Order: sequence, then C-alpha cells, then structure tokens
Amino acid sequence: MIIDTNVQPHFRYNAEIRRHLPAAHKLRSIPDVEQQWYQAPGGNYRQDLYGEHYPGSDPETVARHLFDDAKVDYAVLNPLTRGNIADYLLNSRICAAVNDWLLDRWLEPDSSNRFRGTIRVNPEDPKGAVAEIERLAAHPKLVQVGVPMQSREPYGKPMFEPIWEAAAAHRLPVAVHINGGNGVDYPPTFAGHADTYPGYAAFMPLNYFVHMATLIIEGVFGRHPDLRFVFADGGYDILTPLMWRLDTFWLSMRDQTPWVDRYPSDYLPAHVRFCSSAFDGPTDPGQMQRWMEFSGKAELLMYGSGYPHWSTSLPEEAAGGLDSAQRDNVLWRNAGELYGLAAPAEGSIR
Amino acid sequence: MKLVDVGKFGVGVYNVGGSLHAIVNYCSHEGAPLCEGLIGGTNETAPDEPGGLRRVKDGQIVRCPWHNWEFDVTTGQNLADPKRRVRTYDVDVDDGKVYLTA
Repeated sequence: MIIDTNVQPHFRYNAEIRRHLPAAHKLRSIPDVEQQWYQAPGGNYRQDLYGEHYPGSDPETVARHLFDDAKVDYAVLNPLTRGNIADYLLNSRICAAVNDWLLDRWLEPDSSNRFRGTIRVNPEDPKGAVAEIERLAAHPKLVQVGVPMQSREPYGKPMFEPIWEAAAAHRLPVAVHINGGNGVDYPPTFAGHADTYPGYAAFMPLNYFVHMATLIIEGVFGRHPDLRFVFADGGYDILTPLMWRLDTFWLSMRDQTPWVDRYPSDYLPAHVRFCSSAFDGPTDPGQMQRWMEFSGKAELLMYGSGYPHWSTSLPEEAAGGLDSAQRDNVLWRNAGELYGLAAPAEGSIR
Repeated sequence: MKLVDVGKFGVGVYNVGGSLHAIVNYCSHEGAPLCEGLIGGTNETAPDEPGGLRRVKDGQIVRCPWHNWEFDVTTGQNLADPKRRVRTYDVDVDDGKVYLTA
C-alpha cells in the first residue's frame, strides 16, 4: 500500500473560488492563487501539467497520475488557500469556500474513495477557525486541519491553543504547509527576505521548527495528548541537531518550564509527523538508513508527493536507500496509523 | 552546606529541614564541583497561579555551577532526568558527631 500525504489540488481558474463565497464576500478582491513573489524558475508546478487550467485542477487527471501512474492507494488533499490576508474575517470565509469547493469538486464525487481532505482554517481568527473545525470535523473524508506555515506568531503561543484543542478533540492532526506570498507575509528567513528563489526555497521549509519548538516548550503538546502536527514541507533534516539543542537547554533550565516533564525530543513520536520532501536527506543514498534512525525519523516520516509542485517526488524516490521496514513506514504505515487508513478493498493492494 | 575534604572530590553535607544529607562534590554531567552551586528550591507547574509556577523544595535542590543542572540532595537524582544522578552517602549523627559512610 502507498499513501500520499501531501497533494495540492487547485482551482481550474482564479474565479472558481467565488462560486463558494457567501454573498456578503463575493465581490471582495482576493489574491491570485499564483501571486507569489518567489516563483520557481520555469514555474511552480511540474512543467508537463500546465495546460488550459491550473496544474492539479482536474480530479480525473490527478487520480490517473497518482493512483494509476504512481500506484498510490490514498491521497490526502491539502489545498492552498491564499495565505495570510490582512482581513482575517475575509480570510476565514476564503478558507470555508476552499473547504466547500474541496467537498463539492473532489471528495463527494470521488466514488473510488481514495481521496481524503483537509479542513483549511485561518489561525489569525481563532474563533472562526474553531467554528470551521466544528462545522466539518464529522465528515469522514476530512482527515486533518490545515494552517499556513506563515504565521504572525509561533503556533505554540496561547492565542492559537483553542484551535489545536478543537482539532485534538476530533482526533484531527494539524498539517502546516507553506501557503502565502500575498503581501502580508513575514520574512521567510530569520534574517529577513531572501533575494532569490533558491535562498527562499532552501530556508522556508525550516520555519516549521519554530512552531514545533514552541508547541513543546510552551506545553501545548503536554496539555493535549491527542494533538498531532504534520509538517508538510519537509525540513526534517535539521530535526536532530535542533532537538539536541532543545534537550540540552531543557536539562539546564527545566525549572522555567516544569510543564515540560520529559525530554523535548520525547514528544516527537506521539505528536509530530513530517511529509517527505525532495530536498531533505543525505545526497549519498548509502547514508540514508542510518540518517533515518536519528531522532526516530523512520517513525515520523510519511511519503508526500507535493504534487503538482515542480519538486514532486514519486514513491520510489522518497523510499530510495531505505531498508524494507523504513520503506513500509514511510510509504504507508506511519500515514495509515495517523489518518486511520487501512488497505483498500481487495485486489488493489500493491 | 559543609564541604568535607574526603575522597577524590570531597563531599557536601546539607541540612535539609533538620535532616542531614550528603552528595559527592562532582557533577555527573561534566565533573563540575557540584556543591559549589547554589542550594535552593525548584519550580513546579501551577496553572492557576499568575506566573504558572510554584516554588517548592526550598533548601533541597542544588544547581550545578557549570550548566545549571538541578539535583535533589536527598536522593542524588537529577530533576530533569532522574536516571542522571550523583552519588549520595549515608549520614549518621552520634553523640554530636557526623559520620559519612561510603
């Protein structure tokens, strides 16, 4: 079995979202979905997918590429919204529109029962985000909550906790994915704005660590045993040295955060997962198996194609160099446990 | 605390609320003279209090002077990770004299 935990379905055209906006917000200006300062040379999406409509916008084509060509059994769809928008109330309506669109166009018509979806919420509107989770959490095909990597504050801060509490109460993991570029974003690196796409793309995924570290140190994971975060842009190659650092400081300054009642790294297995990324990992495949054991990554990592992004990776690429147990973990076991997905009906197990 | 010049590193004898406890003057982390560290208390979680913290175990916790690790002088255990401990010694008081047993 193979589970692809990171697929971005797209609108066919920009205005498609307006069909799903409530009347009061229908005429508001909304950023173009591809309005992003840091554009990859050659386009953000796989070149062969450009056509009349956006790449990744036709369910049948996506199903063919994932289920037939890549032999994936389940795909978790995590649509981008439009990132941070200064009008947080409008942004919450955009998230709701994206969710309704995902249900109408992708999940409800999918008789193969292989697509799963994400409840997109706007963390800058905690009350609205909780309401959106409550509105949709019971839907059997919506298996996680989605928020942007870009955030005004790290996600361990107390204003966000009601959102995480609602997600955990419904046993929904929270997926953090880069999602923005619309002008109210914060600098993508600790030192400000990168000049070029490589500088952006190399660093931006690493911002997850700030969210993860504050979720641990501010006690959010400790208070919510069922809360799980999925970091969907990779970045797990910096996990081990930074966890060593956190563990070291905790040994010295534990009394400042006594609610952290175990090593910070001990929170990883119960609370943190990563989607695979083409940019992570050793360049020498011979180092792969040992590297995967650092910080127990073989239990944390889930295959995610990133389809239709230009850096889309196939299952065999994500599993390159792994031993058979690691390979099973990454391709399906970790995701199957997280999302409660078992092998589909007989005859389709590969 | 009274530092007694015995053994390779010396032994610190502490009076914790009227009972005597002894630990080696050698931090199990990197070998610092542990008993030169501050003796005091530690913090526990108190979610309903304004700072979220409560001071407890006053006079029972020594902090290593090098890296701030906390040890309970009555058990020798590190507060963060009880598996990381320092050696303790039995203390007996007899006729006004304090005996340490190694």
